[in-house]
Amino acid sequence: MSRAPFTWAGFRRGFRFGMAIAVPIFVYGLAFGLVAAQAGMGWGWATAFSAGVFSGSAQLATISVLQTGHATLTAVAATVLVMNARYLLFGATLQPWLSQAGPARALPSLLFLGDANWIGTMRAIDQGEDDRAYLAGTGVPPVVVWLAGTVIGAVFGSILPDPRALGADMMLPAFAAAMMAVMIHSRRSLVPVAVGATAALAVGHLAGQGWGIVAAGLAGAGIAALTAPTQRAADAG
Amino acid sequence: MPADLWPFLLVAAAAALACRFAGYLAMRYLPPSPRLDAALRATPLAVMAGITAMALAAGGLSEALALAATIAVAYVSRSDVGAALAGVGLVALLRALGL
Repeated sequence: MSRAPFTWAGFRRGFRFGMAIAVPIFVYGLAFGLVAAQAGMGWGWATAFSAGVFSGSAQLATISVLQTGHATLTAVAATVLVMNARYLLFGATLQPWLSQAGPARALPSLLFLGDANWIGTMRAIDQGEDDRAYLAGTGVPPVVVWLAGTVIGAVFGSILPDPRALGADMMLPAFAAAMMAVMIHSRRSLVPVAVGATAALAVGHLAGQGWGIVAAGLAGAGIAALTAPTQRAADAG
Repeated sequence: MPADLWPFLLVAAAAALACRFAGYLAMRYLPPSPRLDAALRATPLAVMAGITAMALAAGGLSEALALAATIAVAYVSRSDVGAALAGVGLVALLRALGL
C-alpha cells in the first residue's frame, strides 16, 4: 500500500503557517506563565504542564481547579477532557487525510494539534495540501514559543509586585470571551452559550469555578446532543 | 496549590493525550452521528460562556467593561487573540485608574 507524502517540503510549508500564529501564542504562553506563578506554581511545574498538556485553555482551567484547595485527580481529568473535548472533533476531521501517512507518522503529528494550527491545516487540506508532514510543521513554532513564553512569564510573574495590575487574572476570561464571540456563527450557537453560562453560574456558585467549567461543558454538550437534528428528522424535513 | 503536583500533571497530560488521539482513533469504529457532532461542537462554546459568566459574576465594573469590549472587538474584527489582549490591557488600565 502506498503511503501519502510526508516530506521536509510539506513540513516547511506548515512551519511557515506556524510562524504566523506564533506571536499571540507566545504572549498567551507568557500569560499562562504569569497565571501559574500567581497561583503559586513554580516555573518548572508551569513548564512541565505546558509540555505535557500543550493547551492554554486546559492548563488555565486546571490551575483554577488546583487553586480551589480541594482539587481531586478526577476533577483535573474531567476539566482537561471537557476543555479539550473539541480536540476529539479535530482529530476525527483530520483522520481521513492524516491516516494515509500511517500511524507511526499520524499519531506523533497529533501531539502538535491545537486550535489555530488545526484551522490552518484544514484550510491547507481544502486547498489541496497533499503532504501529511504539514500538520507537524504547523505545530512546531507554537510548541517552542508556548514553552518559552511559559518560562519567561512564570519567572517574571514571581518578581512582579502584582500580576493582577497587568490583568493577568483576566487573561482566561478575556480569551474565552473573545473566542466565544468569534465562534458564534448563527443564532443556534447562542444555545450552548446560554446553557453554558447558566450551568457555570449555578454549579460554580455552589462547587467552585472548576466544577462550574465542567458543568458548562457537559450541559452545553448534552443540550446540543438532545436538540441536534437527526438523520430521520433531516430526511423527513 | 497542592504540595505534590506530579499526580495532577500526569493525569492532565494523559487526558490531553487522550483528547488528541481518541477522536482520530474512534473514526475507524464510530458511525458518524449528528448528535455526537453537535455535542462536540457545542462544548467549547458552552465552556467559554461559562468562564466568561463566572468572571462577570466574580468581577466588578472594570471586568464587565473589559469583557464587553473584548466580545465586541472580537465579533467585529474576527481577531480573537487581538481582542483578548486588548481586553486584558483595558482591565489593567481601568484598575490603574481605580475603577
